[in-house]
Amino acid sequence: MPVISTKDLTKEYQSRTFSKDKILALSNFSFDVKSGEIFGILGPNGAGKTTLIKILLGITFRTKGEVQIFGKEINDDSYKLKIGYLPENHRFPSYLTGEQALNFYGMLGGMNRIDVKKKSDEYLKIVDMEKWRKTKIKKYSKGMLQRLGLAQALMNDPELIFLDEPTDGVDPIGRKQIRDVLTHLKNNGKTIFLNSHLLSEVELICDRVAILNKGSLVTSGTVDELTSVSDTFRFTVSEVNDDLIQSLLNTYKAVIKSQKEFTFRAETGEDLNKLIDFLRQKNVLILGIEKEKNTLESMFINLIGSQN
Amino acid sequence: MRFLTLMFSTFREAIAKKIFLGFFIIATIIILFFLFLINVDSVEGMVNMMESSGEEGVRQLVTGFEVGMINLSYLLVITFCFIAVSSFIPSMLEKGNIDILLSKPVSRTNIILAKFLGGVLLIFLSLTYLIGGVWLILSAKSGFWNVPFLYSIPWLTLSFAIIYALIILIGVTSQSTILSIIVSMFLVFVICPVLYVRETVIFSLVTNSTIQFIINFFYYILPKPGDINQIITDIITGSPVKSYMPVYSSVLFMFAALSLSIFYFRRKDY
Repeated sequence: MPVISTKDLTKEYQSRTFSKDKILALSNFSFDVKSGEIFGILGPNGAGKTTLIKILLGITFRTKGEVQIFGKEINDDSYKLKIGYLPENHRFPSYLTGEQALNFYGMLGGMNRIDVKKKSDEYLKIVDMEKWRKTKIKKYSKGMLQRLGLAQALMNDPELIFLDEPTDGVDPIGRKQIRDVLTHLKNNGKTIFLNSHLLSEVELICDRVAILNKGSLVTSGTVDELTSVSDTFRFTVSEVNDDLIQSLLNTYKAVIKSQKEFTFRAETGEDLNKLIDFLRQKNVLILGIEKEKNTLESMFINLIGSQN
Repeated sequence: MRFLTLMFSTFREAIAKKIFLGFFIIATIIILFFLFLINVDSVEGMVNMMESSGEEGVRQLVTGFEVGMINLSYLLVITFCFIAVSSFIPSMLEKGNIDILLSKPVSRTNIILAKFLGGVLLIFLSLTYLIGGVWLILSAKSGFWNVPFLYSIPWLTLSFAIIYALIILIGVTSQSTILSIIVSMFLVFVICPVLYVRETVIFSLVTNSTIQFIINFFYYILPKPGDINQIITDIITGSPVKSYMPVYSSVLFMFAALSLSIFYFRRKDY
């Protein structure tokens, strides 16, 4: 059973109050998130990512379509007992200290005082905010706010965690810490729904990814599926001489990266094997052959660029 | 528990806003003023003079102070509390804050009700401190324990709650603190006093029956803090209350404003 499931989810906004003009934020969006996976949602600004998260959390209401979380329609607030959420640009009451904020949101999340105390101690330590616990939030830096926000999202030990730009404003070391926390959560069977602009990060931690553009699903799949280029292979070989390089260029249309590395586009398996035979005939030692991959970023730019 | 957490967060927010500290300081100064005023020779002399005119004289002096206190408290509640509570809803609705709140298992109806009850309880406690303190001092010094003066605490709280419901409605729909303050102040200081004197002053100037009907219409549907204040004064002084209609219609207005706020908030996308 998927943890999140949507079918033909659509959201239209009024362009202005009392206006009949509509803005389509989400259009017939259908997808599933499986239990225990880190699911990334990608898309350019205004693609509908945050709208999607807000609909799933009952912050914004859908125009039509179905939404199921933990196998049930989201008709009441009870499912929120098992959910954690870190919104983008979140704002805690500035007059609270970090510890007070965690206590407040923990209690609102349905926890009792004892658990709130225990968990706030635990998560302030995990996000490395222990020494700032008694400091007023208004004195926090962006990175500190983000780490406190993450602790807030995890306080009630949720089964499903929504993170909207969790590493926004966080330095590289802090980002690594957050990634480690997410991996730790995944290992503990938690499901994570992640929206991030940092594609390299998404590539590192997400199991599956969906790409949204103009409110519609463009593609989805595992990171490997989305980044692999099916017919280009990267060869790593012992050093080749100039004559051989000329043959590779003219006969096989290879792209030479260096004297030890080139790529070759094979339309069939036979093409690939012909090149291997050729190299072996020339006593070239093949050290490695691997399917060439795009980065998630280059795939994303190509995909969205071709649509816009 | 979640409802109480939300309700008491209003307290913390109010304390953080220094304006309530200002209310507390002024209330304390007033209490101290009454404490030491009674010891001043001239005032003691006044009390002695009133005592020489009998128990009725003492009663008149004390109730006179108490009626003055009601008006002062009403002014304090309006000036300090309205300004302080006007930002409760708009600050809660700020982007980034409301998102976290709505992601918690608390219904939108309960969020509005908790904010309302939190604000009302806060004012109730503030008034209890101010009026209760003054009552204790006045009663102890004069020997006249005028219990009906304490009734002004719930009455003034009700008066506040009625306008606070309007502040919540404006806050939820406009998300603007300034607009909430302006509209509520305009209503309390301009519209309501004008409507209060409609029969004695306005109708002698405006004789057109249609306009009189419209003015009456607004009088009946809008809250009537002035009339409620008069009712409180009547209760304290032991005068008969002419009509409780202003209370009923104002309470109806309060429920209507709260219901509209909840209705709007439950349907709003954030």
